[in-house]
Amino acid sequence: MSTMNLDHFVVLSAILFTIGSIGFLVRRNVIVTLMSIEIMLNAVNLALVAFNRAHPANYSGQIFTFFVIAAEAAEVAIGLAIVLAMFRLHRTIRTDDATLLKN
Amino acid sequence: MELAAFFPNNNFSLIGVILALPLIGAFINGVWGARLGKPAVRLMALSSVGLSFIASLFAFCALHRASEALGHGEHQGAARLSWLAWEWMHTNGGQFLQTVPVELKFSIDALSGVMMLVVTGVGFLIHLYATSYMANDPGFARFFAYLNLFVFSMLVLILGDNLPVLFIGWEGVGLCSYLLIGFWFDKTENASAGKKAFIANRIGDFGLLCAMFLLASSTGALDWAGIARGAVSLVNPSEGAQIHIWPIANAHYTGWLQFLQPTHPITITAATAVGLALLLGCTGKSAQLPLYVWLPDAMAGPTPVSALIHAATMVTAGVYLICRLSFVFVLSPAVMALVACIGIATALLAASIALVQNDIKKVLAYSTVSQLGFMFLGVGVGAFVAGFFHVFTHAFFKACLFLGAGSVIHAMHSRVHDDVASQDMRNMGGLRKYMPITFWTFVAATAAIIGFPFTSGFFSKDEILFKAFVNHSVSPYKTELAARGVEVWEAPTWFGPMLYTLGVIAATMTAFYMVRALVLTFFGEFRGWSIGRASEAQHGHDLESAEKAGHVHGHGHVHGSEAHDDLTLPGDAPHESPWAITLPLVVLGAAALFAGVLNMAPFHFEPLGHWLDPVFEQALHGSVELRGGAEHAEALMWPLAGGGVAAFFVGTALAYWVYVMRNGEPAHRLATALPRVYRFLVDKWRVDEFYNATIIATTEALATMANAFDKWVVDGILAKLTALIVAGFGSFLRAFQNGVVNTYAAFMVVGGAAIGWFMIVPHPEVVIKAEGAAQMVEATTGPGYTYRWDADGDGLIDDEQFSDRSKVTVQVEPGAKKTIRLEVKNAFGITRSKEIQIAGPDAPAVQMGLANAAQ
Repeated sequence: MSTMNLDHFVVLSAILFTIGSIGFLVRRNVIVTLMSIEIMLNAVNLALVAFNRAHPANYSGQIFTFFVIAAEAAEVAIGLAIVLAMFRLHRTIRTDDATLLKN
Repeated sequence: MELAAFFPNNNFSLIGVILALPLIGAFINGVWGARLGKPAVRLMALSSVGLSFIASLFAFCALHRASEALGHGEHQGAARLSWLAWEWMHTNGGQFLQTVPVELKFSIDALSGVMMLVVTGVGFLIHLYATSYMANDPGFARFFAYLNLFVFSMLVLILGDNLPVLFIGWEGVGLCSYLLIGFWFDKTENASAGKKAFIANRIGDFGLLCAMFLLASSTGALDWAGIARGAVSLVNPSEGAQIHIWPIANAHYTGWLQFLQPTHPITITAATAVGLALLLGCTGKSAQLPLYVWLPDAMAGPTPVSALIHAATMVTAGVYLICRLSFVFVLSPAVMALVACIGIATALLAASIALVQNDIKKVLAYSTVSQLGFMFLGVGVGAFVAGFFHVFTHAFFKACLFLGAGSVIHAMHSRVHDDVASQDMRNMGGLRKYMPITFWTFVAATAAIIGFPFTSGFFSKDEILFKAFVNHSVSPYKTELAARGVEVWEAPTWFGPMLYTLGVIAATMTAFYMVRALVLTFFGEFRGWSIGRASEAQHGHDLESAEKAGHVHGHGHVHGSEAHDDLTLPGDAPHESPWAITLPLVVLGAAALFAGVLNMAPFHFEPLGHWLDPVFEQALHGSVELRGGAEHAEALMWPLAGGGVAAFFVGTALAYWVYVMRNGEPAHRLATALPRVYRFLVDKWRVDEFYNATIIATTEALATMANAFDKWVVDGILAKLTALIVAGFGSFLRAFQNGVVNTYAAFMVVGGAAIGWFMIVPHPEVVIKAEGAAQMVEATTGPGYTYRWDADGDGLIDDEQFSDRSKVTVQVEPGAKKTIRLEVKNAFGITRSKEIQIAGPDAPAVQMGLANAAQ
């Protein structure tokens, strides 16, 4: 099997991103929505690392990935807290019911 | 003397004291007056004006000494005490665009010194009077705050050393006049009378402002001395120094406006323009035609205000300004003639209206307008001393008349309890018996105004009439201008005798209406018994007031609704006023009789005239020719005085015959015989109606149009339509803001996909820059873009490979067109291409340019 080139990584990243965004759009469970966001972010991370491997002059791609992971962690922490608060308020975690701002 | 060391002539800071005292009084009474209580307000008001009067006396003595020090030479110049507070600002103007400083500077010279004494002296007496007259008014402190502020503003007007400072005072007295006319503002007519005065004055102020601009640009100065120095440039006959009346600002009309372009521009000299503009200002402030209409209405204010502001001081500001800038007015004989014409026309008009008025204050108001007309006549014929002397004597006798009328109204009011009825002379009569001091002082002042021989009014009015006959205004630069072929308009020879004749007629009418007022008020039987009923039985507070003489009713009380069921019930008789009212009357009455000794022209005893000579020296230098020479004019002095005396005798005798011997019956017969004339006079020549129908109707039509424009165009189209569009967009966009997270997520994804698609596809766009015949075509950049071109327009791509070459230079012949092609490949290997048409330089335009250059 020939070595994996950049195209494979980019295609995989694109597939992951598409799965994530479709999940983000169609699922109504907040936990699943958060997971979909994670998948999209990781697709981006994969692309960044792959491009860094193809252009190894510096490590900006990998360093950028770490930043994305840190931001992800913070986002998940806040996101889960919001999910908890929402559950306490509505006894549900479906996004359809999060319509307090509607009126 | 030590005082002189403290106050040198060029830094005479005592002026600051004279000015500051009334201002402090106004401030304290205005801010803390209500809490201080009436005795403290009275003390504050009286002491500030009284001390200001004493300081004025000191200043006048210092001025006299300074003038003595200058000696009595032919050209000793005017003694002047000046005080520079600070430099306010400066501007540029004049022939060489020099700096024109505008300083907050005050000065006392012979003219302003006399005026200052009159204002503070008469002002103090009227303040004293008002402390009693206004004693029961709830707005006591407010009244004295305004009155003190008025004295301050009037002093600024008089003592200002330049036009801008005078203008501050000019506006200040206008403001105080407005505030005091509308002092009882809860009545609509009082408030609208105040507004009328303010607006009429504002029209005049426009003229004064224009005059200031013209003077600054023509003479390069705004202070009196500077204007006097630069005055000669006002008569410069050269084209550039003239004021263009039409076309305005020397504009040039072309095209369809061609018909507006005159063959020769219509110009007047700067002197005439300045004179006309100043005259407009003076007619507003001094209640002359065409702006006199505010003064009769101004009688809505309290009587002391009518005496101080609308008789003795403020309304003479216009005459003062003409005297002050006499050297500007004399440069244009046409303006001088116009001043005289306005004066005599106003005197006649107002006197004819005063003949038939029944309200005692209205008679005095029209009498004031008429006397101001005499003053304008005086200064308009170049008799500045006579005109100013009439200001001086008028201040005494008219203040005395108004205060006497106030005393009468006060006595009537405590009986009649009606503001209108207590001013109506038909309800008076026989008051001589009840109010002897008021009666005798009123007689003294009436004697002065009707020109009883050897009273003050006799001397001032006769001198005006005499000068109106003999004086003939000419341009002081007549010979110089004639040498340059410029002719200056001069009044025809019949002008002086005409003014004299009309003046005598006006004086006759004055005698008639004043004697009529005197007779109706003080002689015969008291007619007030049947107007109001005895009130002390019904009103406890009136019983009280009857006991303490000197009660003044708060005019805010409304008594008109009382039932007049028993009209014949004899009640409380009218009574004399307390000392605070009678003392000013006695002082002013005495001054009205004897102030004439200061300037007895027929006896060649003229201390005031000599005192004022230096002020008018420049103005009178070559500007007045005496009809038939000096000796001839001198010989005419006594015969012409006969006209004034005859006016007095005829007017008085006629009034005596009509109102004493026949008890007013001939007047009634005449009124019924000529009903239309009578109505016309009672309706005040219907001038107000005329103004309503013309100027005010035009203004209102304009306002209606502006209102419609505002309503339909600004509100309807600009505001409502804009709001509708924004609201429409809002409703549309609101549909997307539905608060459902999934929808937002969907929009986000769609937007992200759109941006992604935009990034994936390359965009061949170019920017073309012309550099002469060559044109630089530059492709826009993008992620990983590489380019290849067909730059020569042969339809074939030039290069096999894509490269970084983003710019090409293309040569296109003038008038020709070329089609080039660009292909762009991006990082994803997708290619797009674009055809670009490049036009050459505009060929015909170039040829035109060449043709023009050849010509």
